[in-house]
Amino acid sequence: MRTLVFIPAWNEEASVGAVIADVREKLPHADVLVVDDGSVDATAERAREAGALVASLPFNQGLGAALQTGYLHAYREGYDCCAHLDADGQHPAAEVARLLAEVEADRADLVIGSRYRDPAAAEARSDDYRPTLSRRIGTSVFRFFLTLATRQRFTDTTSGMRAANRRVMALFSENYSPDFAEIESLQLAVREGLRVEEVPVRMLERAGGSSFLTPLRSAFFIFKGVVVLLVGQFRPRQAGAQR
Amino acid sequence: MPLAAEGAQVHLTAQTRIVAAVLAIAFMLLILDLIRRNRLQERYSVVWFVAGLGMLAGAAFPGLLELLADAMGVRDTNVALFSVVLLLLLGLALNFSVIVSRQAAQITRLAQERALEKARAQALEEEARQAGREPRSGKQPLEAEEERLEG
Repeated sequence: MRTLVFIPAWNEEASVGAVIADVREKLPHADVLVVDDGSVDATAERAREAGALVASLPFNQGLGAALQTGYLHAYREGYDCCAHLDADGQHPAAEVARLLAEVEADRADLVIGSRYRDPAAAEARSDDYRPTLSRRIGTSVFRFFLTLATRQRFTDTTSGMRAANRRVMALFSENYSPDFAEIESLQLAVREGLRVEEVPVRMLERAGGSSFLTPLRSAFFIFKGVVVLLVGQFRPRQAGAQR
Repeated sequence: MPLAAEGAQVHLTAQTRIVAAVLAIAFMLLILDLIRRNRLQERYSVVWFVAGLGMLAGAAFPGLLELLADAMGVRDTNVALFSVVLLLLLGLALNFSVIVSRQAAQITRLAQERALEKARAQALEEEARQAGREPRSGKQPLEAEEERLEG
């Protein structure tokens, strides 16, 4: 079973090295690919020093395009399963290993790490993730509309910690919205009849950098997300991704 | 309010407004359909060809415009002409947005391919280093890859 763990990174030189070290320690058999999304700092150098393979996009393309690059690599290089996590240190590699175990056991095609589902399962710690108000509002709105669109309950719609098998790789390497990666991809996967599952995970406060979400941007982000979901409902289904 | 223009006065009739609304709805449906099909355009030439044919028809048969003005409920033929040209321009602007979208996607894929090529080169370089034979130059892993593909 060959596994690829990829990490989209945009100007994350402060934290990317530690994230790679964490992945290499907790997932020693997985290959690590950092997708450097046109960083202007030393992200690519730090990643190479930490022993990861680096795919550098020549200019910033957005998270969706970066994630798609990872799926494309995993698909073409014949990996059996793949996982991705954020480069800012919010996602512990030990939790990613649990997601991968679900995919390897073939209990789901796509597994999402949720920081909201069943938070009591993971014991609270002082460095645990605490969502901001605008993040909480956005989360509820997306949760509502995505549940409406997919008729499946999702709690953490914007989670960047996921594990997937080859069926998902085939779908996402060709159909992945470069603008609105997380939500549309969930909708797409469910529409294509893939088994999508959420697993409760523990997330940490970010180690470096700051969130891109200001209140105004959050509002725009939410508006865009709802429009994307609406249009996505009318997209024709693909024949190629059927199981 | 008259249903169609009857007198000598040029005023907005109910018919004009209905036609404008219908056109606007048709336009929005077109946009949605383009997005839905993920295939926003085929060729510039078709659009320009149709636009050119329209202009030709308008020039050759001014009666068409008068007919159009009549159909739109406008007494002044100029207003009908302006409306048609405005719509054509709107259509072309949309067409260009579509082309821009497609090219943006192509650029993204190009960037992804290039990034993955570089990652593959890095992997081959590291493989060569681990095998004990330091690559003589940065070109060697790529040459090895080419040989592998040819063989």
